[in-house]
Amino acid sequence: MRRANVVSGVVLALFGLLMLLVVIPAQIEQGPEGVVSPRLVPNMMMFLVTVLSVVLVLTNYRPPQDQEPEEPIPVSLPELAALVKIAAVFAVSVGLYLLVSPLAAGAALVVGSLVVLGERRPVVIVMMPAALLIGLWLLFYKVLGTAIV
Amino acid sequence: MENLIIGFQDVLNPATLFWVAVGVTLGYVLGALPGLGKATGVAVAIPLTFYLEPVAALGLLIGIAKGSAAGSAVSAILLNTPGEPSSAPTALDGYPLARQGKAQKALKMGLYASVLGDFVSTLILIGLAAPLASYALLIGPVELCAILLFSLTFVGGLSGGSLTKGLIAAAFGVFFATIGLEPETFISRMTFGRLELEDGLALVPLAIGMLAVAEMVLQAGNMRTLDHESARIVQGASRDDRVVTAAEWRRCLPVIARGTLIGSVVGILPGLGASVGSFLSYGATQRASKTPEKYGTGMIEGVAAAESADNAVVPSSLVPLFALGIPGSVIAAILIAAFILHGLTPGPLMFKQQPRLVADVYASMICASLIMLVIGYFGQRLFAMVIRVPLRLIIPGVLLLCSVGAYMETSSVFSIYVMLFFALIGFFARKLDFSFVTFLIGFVIGPSLELTFRQSIQILDHKAANLAGHPIALLFIALTLATVWWTARGNARAAAARRRSDLVLPGSASRGPASTETTGNHKGG
Repeated sequence: MRRANVVSGVVLALFGLLMLLVVIPAQIEQGPEGVVSPRLVPNMMMFLVTVLSVVLVLTNYRPPQDQEPEEPIPVSLPELAALVKIAAVFAVSVGLYLLVSPLAAGAALVVGSLVVLGERRPVVIVMMPAALLIGLWLLFYKVLGTAIV
Repeated sequence: MENLIIGFQDVLNPATLFWVAVGVTLGYVLGALPGLGKATGVAVAIPLTFYLEPVAALGLLIGIAKGSAAGSAVSAILLNTPGEPSSAPTALDGYPLARQGKAQKALKMGLYASVLGDFVSTLILIGLAAPLASYALLIGPVELCAILLFSLTFVGGLSGGSLTKGLIAAAFGVFFATIGLEPETFISRMTFGRLELEDGLALVPLAIGMLAVAEMVLQAGNMRTLDHESARIVQGASRDDRVVTAAEWRRCLPVIARGTLIGSVVGILPGLGASVGSFLSYGATQRASKTPEKYGTGMIEGVAAAESADNAVVPSSLVPLFALGIPGSVIAAILIAAFILHGLTPGPLMFKQQPRLVADVYASMICASLIMLVIGYFGQRLFAMVIRVPLRLIIPGVLLLCSVGAYMETSSVFSIYVMLFFALIGFFARKLDFSFVTFLIGFVIGPSLELTFRQSIQILDHKAANLAGHPIALLFIALTLATVWWTARGNARAAAARRRSDLVLPGSASRGPASTETTGNHKGG
């Protein structure tokens, strides 16, 4: 985790500097005189992030040693693959929401997740989204008496 | 006491009890579903109460609030996805217990701790609300700012083994809370021209993304291993794995008492919320234990500590609401609308103007606690069956519910974008051992922290020396500094010990915890 800490510390420190020097001045006006600046708290928080990130780097940095075995990467390949697959399912679902309807988006989310997670039984792939969507309809439209859309 | 007896006479009739039971059941189910917590449940149910009698209506809403606080432990224990952020510490030990085949034991202890915490806290509310009104006036913006700062630092130092990472997460939480219109000058902050950001980031989609969606992605990545463990657990379950034994009761009762006390105090202090209460209780129990290193691996005391405090916060958070008319929590803020709708205006005057309705509310709360025990106990077996279902069938349903929960907050697809953005942050925060719960607490108390900080600057006339007139604030500032020193010293000692072991055994560092900045588990969550 030392190397991951150093890398994340450097990234966060750069992010903090970017926010302090570019984004906050561009996105937040100074505010009228006589009141506390709207930039004060965001600036304080980003300053804190930058300083603590530097501390994180300094407390974890150690020159590489020959005998030391390679550190494992914190994120495993199956986890990254799951992230990409589920992100793709959400992208399709959001696209369907915008272009077709919320119902299609909900069905696509369930069916897509089932398929990318390895489910191949047609009955499950058909029945599960149907059951979930009918259940949600009953809960929100009939029991709670409110519309989702 | 006389009014309370009349209150019980009003509540103890089949119609009112039925609605309280409906509220508790509905709350339990909503709490168990990730993202659909008590605030969402009560908000959605308020229109349902238009046609009910005031006592039944308030009983229903109180039932939802109490039921969902207890129900959120179910998904925390069975799925490692807390129904609400405040149940995150429950998952730290509850989920490992479930993975060891002790899901029913963890669920039962969670329920008992919830009911006890909730019941005692309700009694504290009844005893304290009216008398506290005069004393609560002592807590002004300067004191509240110091209390919030202390809470954030304490939780930041507690979560994971790294104060540095905890504080970074907390600072990010407060930073993201500043997005939107600044309350004093109404100047937009970091909205990038998006109208949806003018009101700031909504907590529900953010929390759902960070907690539930990120967890589902991680579980999808480790699905085969986890399903294999689940299958093995089901086969190896014994009776002792399903019940809370007498020895465990003896160990857990003091923990529940401490958790209830912490939860009640945190609930009374405005702005801290159930997450702070459950984490403080969990941390206090861990530190008081003779085997703190076992926490996070399946200690039943961890579940008892978190749940008793979590549920104790709900009733006691109504103390500032009833005493001063100030909501101490999100749920109290939402309940104000319901109380006013049904003829009860929260504040000191309600004890004189509406003593009977106040007594009815108190009686409803006590009945809801007992009904929660019955419904929770008999529903446990049903909820525990979730763990037998393969993850590939659970994850799609949870993702759909998360999306619906996030969407409902604003009825806009933008909430889904927010959820997905914070799911990504939550994913990497978990893997890199940054505390996403500290982030969430920073985000929740961020607006209060900023507001009270700004007020404090003006009250103190820009002079730190004027703090001398605020001894409570000074006390909490001292506690904050002590927390930083205490945690930093602990980290430095651990680092020194590791360096010594490196000198003795060159190259051995990679076999133990890799760094001073990590705990190597999910305590950050």
